[in-house]
Amino acid sequence: MSSEHVVKGYDEELRKLNNIITEMGGLAESQLSAAIDAVVERDSELAASVVEGDAKVDQLQRDLDNLALRLLALRQPVARDLREIFAAIKIAADLERMCDYAANVAKRSIALNQAPPAQPVYALPRMARLAQLLVKDVIDAYVARDPDKAYAVWMRDEELDEMYASLFRELLTYMMEDARNISASTHLLFMAKNIERIGDHATNIAEDLYYLVHGTPLTQKRPKGDNSNLEVVMRGRAQS
Amino acid sequence: MMSSGSVVSMQTMPAALNDPGSARSAAQKVLIHNVEFYYDKFKALKNINLVLRDKRVTAFIGPSGCGKSTLLRVLNRIYELYPGQRATGEVMIDGENILSPGRDLNLLRAKIGMVFQKPTPFPMSIHDNVAFGIRLYQKLPQSELDDRIESALRRAALWDEVKDKLKQSGLGLSGGQQQRLCIARAVAVQPEILLLDEPASALDPISTQRIEELIAELKSDYCIAIVTHNMQQAARSSDYTAFMYLGELVEFDETERIFTHPKERRTEDYITGRFG
Repeated sequence: MSSEHVVKGYDEELRKLNNIITEMGGLAESQLSAAIDAVVERDSELAASVVEGDAKVDQLQRDLDNLALRLLALRQPVARDLREIFAAIKIAADLERMCDYAANVAKRSIALNQAPPAQPVYALPRMARLAQLLVKDVIDAYVARDPDKAYAVWMRDEELDEMYASLFRELLTYMMEDARNISASTHLLFMAKNIERIGDHATNIAEDLYYLVHGTPLTQKRPKGDNSNLEVVMRGRAQS
Repeated sequence: MMSSGSVVSMQTMPAALNDPGSARSAAQKVLIHNVEFYYDKFKALKNINLVLRDKRVTAFIGPSGCGKSTLLRVLNRIYELYPGQRATGEVMIDGENILSPGRDLNLLRAKIGMVFQKPTPFPMSIHDNVAFGIRLYQKLPQSELDDRIESALRRAALWDEVKDKLKQSGLGLSGGQQQRLCIARAVAVQPEILLLDEPASALDPISTQRIEELIAELKSDYCIAIVTHNMQQAARSSDYTAFMYLGELVEFDETERIFTHPKERRTEDYITGRFG
């Protein structure tokens, strides 16, 4: 943040807003990481703790909303201060949603653990590592108010999309090979989709940060690497 | 009436004249060109260039002593009442430089109404307060005069409150009513430009909102310039905002732009309360 306000309490409150975002960002990273560990290690206890941990993030978002509302009502912010608060509200919503996705991955891992180990899930942690990196980078960018770093995250999400599209095809193949794979593969597919969505939310945060710093929106078209929503697999053709 | 001074056409105005309005916005009404102002040797305004658009509200903000009220006082040459004060440069209104020495000040001030920070009703009846200005410039038959007074009081959103007590003293009204009476008095002369110098700073919030609502209504007929210390008031009631500091025009732009992402750091620091 630039130089200080004449009213010191205002700076204090803005710093608090900042700290909540940083804490939520840290939680988004750790929740995702723990959820993936739970999948790989088949650790239902760890998975349960991730699901439970989601409440903390929800509480932080409520705290942030309350503080932001208070700032809007009492400080009547303008210009950069207004953009700070506006961005914080949006970023907190994105982080909260990321954590929901992480919790959903954890929940599904508990379901997966009911059955014997299915297909190799190595692609999933690879996706999760990239998603985690995007979250970490975008939060670092937020802390440093660095729109260039945020822009790099925004561009890199395409990689995550591509990984998802490839995993989508892989899992479809498993399902077609043996109908008994369908249940586990569907869970894995949803997990992959969740992780892919986390990347999308990271790009939202990148856009919010860009607006916060520049005062104008990032309007260019973002490269997309996922074309799985256009894919149709014909049973006969796939088997040939 | 033509001025005996130089007439500068809009074509000769420099490109640097600040005007955030587009070709599609309302017409340019006041062109302020290279204006400087001196209180004896002290230079209170430095090379001010900007355009006030007709049927728009332009707000002037800035810390005390930045020159915003001084600029308003240049626009109707009220500073000439005081010795040692002088303005240089050009203020073009409808193609005439109002700063030229030959300009008829009475006619100029009939064209440009001004309302001050503290309500300044004259110690006379409400009716006569409004009639005062009209009588200065025109001799109207009584019925026409009364019509004009009613219309001015209606324009100032005061008619319903005073119609039954027009003969009572203007000094008996509340602060907010007195200020609206002053606006009615200014409007009664049928000016083209209204200058408001902190018109609501001495009023309670409801009276302030009435004045702001009034500004929004008057805008359809006049070119309005308002000086205010209340940033929210500038944000609420103006189309364009000029930020002044130490006698300079730091930034002039659409109000929405100034209050969401101003270009200048000094503007940002001021409106966000970071001024040290």
